[in-house]
Amino acid sequence: MTKVALVGSPNVGKSSLFNQLTKLYVSVSNYPGTTVSITRGKITIKDKIFEIMDTPGMYSFLPVTDEEKVSRKIIFEESPDIIVHVIDAKNLERMLPLTLQLMETKLNVILNLNIIDEAEKIGMIINTDLLEKELHIPVIQTVSTKGIGVLTLKDKLYELTTHHHA
Amino acid sequence: MSSPHTTTLNYLDTPICEAVLKITELLKASYKISKNTLALLLLQEDPYTQALVKEKEEKNYTHIQEVVSNLSKQYSEPLRYVISMNRQKTVDVLVSQSVTVPKSSSFMISNFLNRLMIHPLTGYPILALVLYYGLYQFVGVFGSGTIVEFIEGTLFETYINPWVTSFFQALIPWAVIQELFVGEYGIFTLGIRYAVAIVLPVVGTFFIAFSIIEDTGYLPRLALLLDRSFKYIGLNGRAVIPMVLGLGCDTMATMVTRILETKREKVIATLLLALAIPCSAQLGLILALLAKSPHALLMWGGVVMGEFFLIGYLAAKILPGTQPQFFMELPPLRLPMLSNVMTKTYSRIQWYFMEVLPLFIVASLLIWVGQITGLFQWLINALKPVVLAIGLPAEAAIAVLFGFFRRDYGAAGLYDLQTKNLLTPNQLAIASITLTLFLPCIAQFLIMKKERGLKTTLWMTAFIFGAAFGTGYLLNQVLELLRIHL
Repeated sequence: MTKVALVGSPNVGKSSLFNQLTKLYVSVSNYPGTTVSITRGKITIKDKIFEIMDTPGMYSFLPVTDEEKVSRKIIFEESPDIIVHVIDAKNLERMLPLTLQLMETKLNVILNLNIIDEAEKIGMIINTDLLEKELHIPVIQTVSTKGIGVLTLKDKLYELTTHHHA
Repeated sequence: MSSPHTTTLNYLDTPICEAVLKITELLKASYKISKNTLALLLLQEDPYTQALVKEKEEKNYTHIQEVVSNLSKQYSEPLRYVISMNRQKTVDVLVSQSVTVPKSSSFMISNFLNRLMIHPLTGYPILALVLYYGLYQFVGVFGSGTIVEFIEGTLFETYINPWVTSFFQALIPWAVIQELFVGEYGIFTLGIRYAVAIVLPVVGTFFIAFSIIEDTGYLPRLALLLDRSFKYIGLNGRAVIPMVLGLGCDTMATMVTRILETKREKVIATLLLALAIPCSAQLGLILALLAKSPHALLMWGGVVMGEFFLIGYLAAKILPGTQPQFFMELPPLRLPMLSNVMTKTYSRIQWYFMEVLPLFIVASLLIWVGQITGLFQWLINALKPVVLAIGLPAEAAIAVLFGFFRRDYGAAGLYDLQTKNLLTPNQLAIASITLTLFLPCIAQFLIMKKERGLKTTLWMTAFIFGAAFGTGYLLNQVLELLRIHL
C-alpha cells in the first residue's frame, strides 16, 4: 500500500481534494483551521491501493500550533511514500517555501496548484512546465471543489509508485 | 541516505550548505526523515529536532552544537531568519520567471466589501445584520417558531401522538410498559418528539445559516474585527473561530481550540465555551422561548455576554502569560456553493441527530426506571430548593434535571413549560440564563477531559455549576429587589 499525505497551508482545499479523491466526506469550509486531526481514506487506482491522509494546515517545518505539529508528525514519523503539497495558486510566492522544505525530506513530492480557476479569473498565467523543470518534481493544476484535475493527480500518483518500485 | 544530496540545497548560502554537510556527517543514528531536513532544523534551533538528536547521538550532539554556533556567529540575524530569507529569494526568482500577473486586478467589489467587514465603524453594524437575519430571523423566528409550531403543534399533537399512543395502548396491555413508550416522559412522546419536532428544525436551520456564512469567508474577517475586544479576555482574534463554531456545537469547538497557540489561551477558550457560548440547539430553543418577551431576550443576551467578558477578563488576569500576536490568512470572499452548503448541513445534522437521539431515548428510559424506583421523584424533590432559590416554579425542577443530561434537553423541557404558560418572563429569562451557563452536555465534558486533562476539567465544571446557579440566584434577587417585571 502506498501512503499519500496531502499537506499545505490552511484553507487551500486539502479537505475538498481529499473528498474528491476518496469519495468520503470531511467537512470543508472557507476559513483556516477546519481540519484539526488526520483523516484517512483508502482508494484503488488501477491495480494499486493508496492510503490518502488529509492533514491540518501547516505553514512550515517550524510549527507554532498543535495542529501544525500533527501534520509535521505525519511527515516525520509516518514516512509517507508521496507528499502532495496542495497550494493556493494565487499565492504561489508565499507557499513555495514549504515546497522546498518538503523536497529536502527526499520523499516524493507532487506540487498541486489548486484553486487554479480563481488564479485564472484574476488573469494570472502560470507556466507549469517551467516550474516542473526548475523544481524537478511533478506539478499539476486542480480545482478541487469542482473535481477538475483529480484524474491527472491520480495518474501522477500511480506513475510515481511504478517509478518508486522499479 | 548516507550521502547528502546537495541538489535540493543549492539555493542556500555556501556557509549554510557547508554546515548542513558537516551536521549530516555527524548524524550517525538512523532516522525516519532525511538528514538534510534534520540538519536544517537543527540550525534553526527547532526544539523537537534538538531533543530527538540529543537522545540518539549523545556524544556527537555537542559537536553538532558547535557547528550551529559557529555558523550563527557569521550572521547578524538569527539563522531561522537567514534560512527562510534564502528560501524566499529562490521562490521569488522562480515565481517571477514562471508566473505573469496582470497589473490591475478585478477585485474591486470584494475588496470594498472586505474593508467594510473589517473596519469597526461598518464591521459591527454588519455583524448585527448577520446576527439579526441569520440567527434571529432565520433560526429563531422561522426555524424554532414557524417550523417547530408546524411539526410539533400540528403534526405531532394532532396526528402522530394520538395515533402512536392508541397504537401502543392496543399493543401492550400493561400500563407500566405503556408509560415507557408513550407516557409523559415516554421514549416516543418525549425522547423522539423532542429530537424530531423541537431540536431538529432548530439545529437544521442553524446549520444551514452557519454553512452559508462559513463558505463566504466571513469568519476570518470577523476574527480581525473582534481581535481588539478579545485582547481584554486574554485571547486574540484567532480564538474567534472556535467561539463562533461553539454556537454550532461546543463539543466540536472545544476540539478546535487546538488551533490556539498557548496553553493559557486554550484553557481560557475551553472555559468560556463551556460557560457562556450557547450551542445551536440551545440557542434556537432559547430564541423560541424568549421571542415573545423581547425584554427577557435582551436581558439574556446582556447577562450571557457580560459573563463571557467578565469571566474571560478575570481568567486572563489570574492565568499568567501574554497572548501571542495575531495573524491569519484572509481567504477571499466567495459566493457559497450550494452543493457544499447542502452536504455540510446534511452531514452535520446527521452527526448531531445520531448523537442526541440515543441520548434522548436513554434519558426516557432512565426517567422511567427512576419513576418506578422513586429515584426520579427524589431527585426532583432534592432539586426543588435550588430551583425555588433562583425564583422558578417547582415544576421547572424537571427541566433543570434534564439540563444535566444536555442543555438543549433542558431547554426543550422549558419550552414545554412555557407552552403551558407556567413561566413569567422574569422566570423565563432566569431559567434560560442558568441553563445557558451550564455545561452543555456529557460529550463536552468528555472532550474537555481529553483536551485539557481531568484536573482542569473538574475545576472548570465545579466553577461553572457555581457560576450558573449563582448568576441565577443573584439575578432573581436583583429583579425582586428592584421590582422589575420584564
